Amino acid sequence: MSRSLSMHGTAKKNSKMKRWMKLLFRSKTGTVGLFIVVSIVLVAILAPWLAPHEPQTIDPVNTHKPPMWMEGGDRSNILGTDNLGRDILSRIIYGSQVSLLVGISSVVLAGVIGVLVGLFTGYFGGFLDTFFMRLADSFLAIPNILLALVMLGVFGPGLLTLILVLGVTNWVQYARIIRSEVLSIKERDFIRAAKSIGVKHRHIIFSHLYPNVISSFIVVATLSVASTIILESSLSFLGLGIQPPQVSWGTILSDGRDYLATSWWLATFPGLAITISVLGIIFLGDWLRDILDPRTVK
Amino acid sequence: MKRKLWMLGLLVMGLFLIVACSNDDGDGEQEKDTDEKTETSGDNRTLTIALGSDMVTFDVHDHINTSTEAIHVNMFNYLVKRDNETGEILPDLAESFENIDDLTWEFKLKEGVTFHNGDELTSTDVKYSLERVATGEELKDYTNYNQIKEVEILDDYRFRIITHEPEPVLLNRISRIASGILPSKYIEENGFDHFLQNPIGTGPFQFVEWVRDDRIVFEVYDDFFEEKNEDWDQLVFRIIPENSTRVSELLTGGVDIAVNIPPADWDRVSDHEDTYLAQETSNRTLMIFLRSTEGYPTSDQRVREALDLAIDNQAIIDSLLGGAGVPTITRVAPGNFGFAEHLYDTYNYDLDRAKELLAEAGFPDGFEMTFHSPRGRYLQDAEVAEMVAGMWAQIGVTANIEFMEWSNFVELRNAHENEDAYLLGLGNSMFDAANGLDWYNAERFEGETDYRNDEVEELLAAAMTNMDLEERNEQYIQAQELLAEDVAHIVLHMESINIGVSEGIDYTPTMDEMIYVDTITRK
Amino acid sequence: MHYFLKRVLEIIPVLLIITFIVFTLVFIAGDPIALLLPEDATAEDIAALQAALGLDDPFYVQYGRYVVNMLQGDFGTSFRYGEDAMLLVLERLPATIELAIASILVAIMIAIPLGIWSATKKNSSIDLLATGAAVLGKAMPNFWLGIMLILVFSVTFSVFPVSGRGSFSHLILPAITLGTGIAAEMTRLIRSSMLETLGQDYIRTAKSKGLRTGIVVYKHAFRNTLVPVVTIIALQTSTLVGGTLITETVFAWPGIGQLLIQAVNNRDMAIVQACVMVIAFFVIMMNLIADLLYQLLDPRIRYK
Repeated sequence: MSRSLSMHGTAKKNSKMKRWMKLLFRSKTGTVGLFIVVSIVLVAILAPWLAPHEPQTIDPVNTHKPPMWMEGGDRSNILGTDNLGRDILSRIIYGSQVSLLVGISSVVLAGVIGVLVGLFTGYFGGFLDTFFMRLADSFLAIPNILLALVMLGVFGPGLLTLILVLGVTNWVQYARIIRSEVLSIKERDFIRAAKSIGVKHRHIIFSHLYPNVISSFIVVATLSVASTIILESSLSFLGLGIQPPQVSWGTILSDGRDYLATSWWLATFPGLAITISVLGIIFLGDWLRDILDPRTVK
Repeated sequence: MKRKLWMLGLLVMGLFLIVACSNDDGDGEQEKDTDEKTETSGDNRTLTIALGSDMVTFDVHDHINTSTEAIHVNMFNYLVKRDNETGEILPDLAESFENIDDLTWEFKLKEGVTFHNGDELTSTDVKYSLERVATGEELKDYTNYNQIKEVEILDDYRFRIITHEPEPVLLNRISRIASGILPSKYIEENGFDHFLQNPIGTGPFQFVEWVRDDRIVFEVYDDFFEEKNEDWDQLVFRIIPENSTRVSELLTGGVDIAVNIPPADWDRVSDHEDTYLAQETSNRTLMIFLRSTEGYPTSDQRVREALDLAIDNQAIIDSLLGGAGVPTITRVAPGNFGFAEHLYDTYNYDLDRAKELLAEAGFPDGFEMTFHSPRGRYLQDAEVAEMVAGMWAQIGVTANIEFMEWSNFVELRNAHENEDAYLLGLGNSMFDAANGLDWYNAERFEGETDYRNDEVEELLAAAMTNMDLEERNEQYIQAQELLAEDVAHIVLHMESINIGVSEGIDYTPTMDEMIYVDTITRK
Repeated sequence: MHYFLKRVLEIIPVLLIITFIVFTLVFIAGDPIALLLPEDATAEDIAALQAALGLDDPFYVQYGRYVVNMLQGDFGTSFRYGEDAMLLVLERLPATIELAIASILVAIMIAIPLGIWSATKKNSSIDLLATGAAVLGKAMPNFWLGIMLILVFSVTFSVFPVSGRGSFSHLILPAITLGTGIAAEMTRLIRSSMLETLGQDYIRTAKSKGLRTGIVVYKHAFRNTLVPVVTIIALQTSTLVGGTLITETVFAWPGIGQLLIQAVNNRDMAIVQACVMVIAFFVIMMNLIADLLYQLLDPRIRYK
């Protein structure tokens, strides 16, 4: 029984693939989302080749240069320059690396913690379960940004601390979802059967439970990348985000906010970058939810 | 089901009611607002000033915060005050003062000065105030006042201040932060906590309310010992941390004066028909502290000089600070005792010489260093740091900037974990070279910058207690020349004070960064 | 009722864990002495002040003292203001609650029409547009939206005041800034719950009986959207309070958010602790109330 669940024939996979693609193109938002996300990932990977300038090179003579289509702008700085004369397009292109890195790696970190906690507490129950669920309640009661703010205030801002802090503050939602899934699955026949023939707990957890709960994780995780990108920009606004010379969309946006009234392009383009990618990720996540979550497939 | 819907309806109504109630207070205020607005056209007697951060406390002895003092000066008075133009010490609460001997100063108070509760100011209040801060070790201003030994009362209006050591700058010392005179009788009767909630002073404005991080409200004091302020009935300081919001409030007439206008908005403020930009050079120097500890490249005078020569100070001022700010080689500014004029409003810039010096020092290809900088603490601090690093790159020096949140930055320096260089902006409320040049004191910076110049040490120590002011002045100027030659640290520029003001109001900021509302008048 | 008693009792360990997390963080943060003393303080000055404030005791002593004091209603004294931390926080609570409620109302006003509309036109361009619009609110960083709203509605068109708390008009821009952020989740939930209801038998029956779609939608299906609205309000309390940190700073709104940010920047840990406790308590309470309301709104949900 377990075999049929964890292994699929190639033919089945192909048909699944087809079904996914069909579902994808039927969903307009899903198509748009996938397109946006793929483009952003490509931009981040190809940044060194795509960016026309170094993101850090300052140019005291060419500060606040408007985008090329405006008076005073030219082709060498397509989206204009910032208060230090740095090329905004290049900064946004390079910024995508850090923004995605923070978004993805903190979600992965939170996911690993959350999935493990969820699997074990859900499966074993007992004191462990009670303890972790009370811990989860505690984390849930403190808004993410607040916990991140206090932790970054304590440990000092920086790329690594930011990822760690966001990872540690976000594990709860995964733990809870996975736990509830485990609770419903573990009473099913195939798990009971495995238990009764003496299969090891560890094997049950990782070979039987894990494959069955991971799709819920993927859906939530995708949506989390979006909220993490937003959270990173909020923390930048509070001065606790990525620190220069590293650039993220959040830092470009928050550095540019003093110039919104005078040189609007400093903050508008990174703002658009964030908005568009978050939109794309959410669309993609919604679509994944539709195809991966059996309850919504109708 | 129906019943449940009813309950839900009730709940929603409840929510609305809560909002509505809070709006009721609001509406009241709104009416007031509109009243004020109609007055604006004719006779607006409320002055609203937007600040970037809240004041800290009404305990005048327990803060080291310039922007808090900028508010306090409107409700407390010092014994004497410093003229911002001439640097001369003028009478304030004291009518006259004289130096009796090296350790003793005698003062006479003006008669008829009253606190906001009507009590008359006497020598007892002075004794209480100065001795509180001179002996209160837990107070933040203690170290700036513990030079005072005691205050000896001669009669109700006459008293003597006695110091431990000869104190040439006593008058400067008691005309700055923590020099405000407190009402001793009021505090004794009601307790200090009561005073903190309901503070009174002798100044032109009296306290009404303080809503934390929102506003501090004062009203004019009718019996002020000098002339009652005729321009304003009410004085409101509003706290608006976000720069763009503060500027927007100024432009829309929500506030009359807004401090700390960022350079990006200078044109907006000066071009707007209802506002103008008032600027003044402050007493705050932006400096790069270099580490002279053995093993660091910056321990070599030639390297330090090369780093200084590579920086085009005027370019920084022009491109980042909108041309406001004065390049300088010394940290003692005009208006300060011991000012060395020939080191001010000038800078050294010579890229070729810088490269030569680096080569001589054994770094023909430059070197790599760490450069710490706070962010958002001083005018364009992060931008200045980035530009300086860019300029150093031109002589082959790679400076890796590490931006630090302020409290971490303070800790880094306290723990002596600072590396080759760090950026710092220093004010000087004493307006005396002693305070300014203490930043070169070898003992104080042992382990942090490790700069030591024995000649400078001697000069500073001698000047510290030298009551011969002319000789003292010479000593300080000589010390500054030595420091400049040595390029102990790199002095960049004096910051500008940038305040946005409504067209209908006359205001000239002063270099001490205080906001004297008595000097703000309606046109 | 037994269920709720259990829920209430569970709050106690949760609050204890929170104090522990926060206290540990504060302890690691080190003491604020560096910021308390002037820049020229000596090492002895620092040690003396540390001892005077009891900051040189070991961790468990300090934590024990903190919990005992807290049980007596003493949350410590603000270093920055020298006043009772909890009082300072409570003073600011009404402003934040006012903003939060206004934002929820804004979110409801956006989400209910959008959610219903997109559900009735499932998978059409209208659906795409409505979902897109709702998500847009979430996708825009709060501070950016806030500053833009000020520039457009206050500076350019002078419709609303720029900042501060006071009249009703002061409330509108911050409420929109914060409300759009939570409207996205709400719209999504309303849409999917509408879809679920619309697919149900009694709706089909009603339709087949010839009732007009409009009536069916508004009379039968809409009622069911109330459950998700309540759910989301409770679940979003945490996000909402988090959002006030940003919104309050942009609009100089004198609530808990601003107090907290100033406290973090100044290492005023008594205030940080008190703020976190109050916010956590608030969030827990909202979740409890939501549980209660579920039962009230949806008879199918019953707790044992």
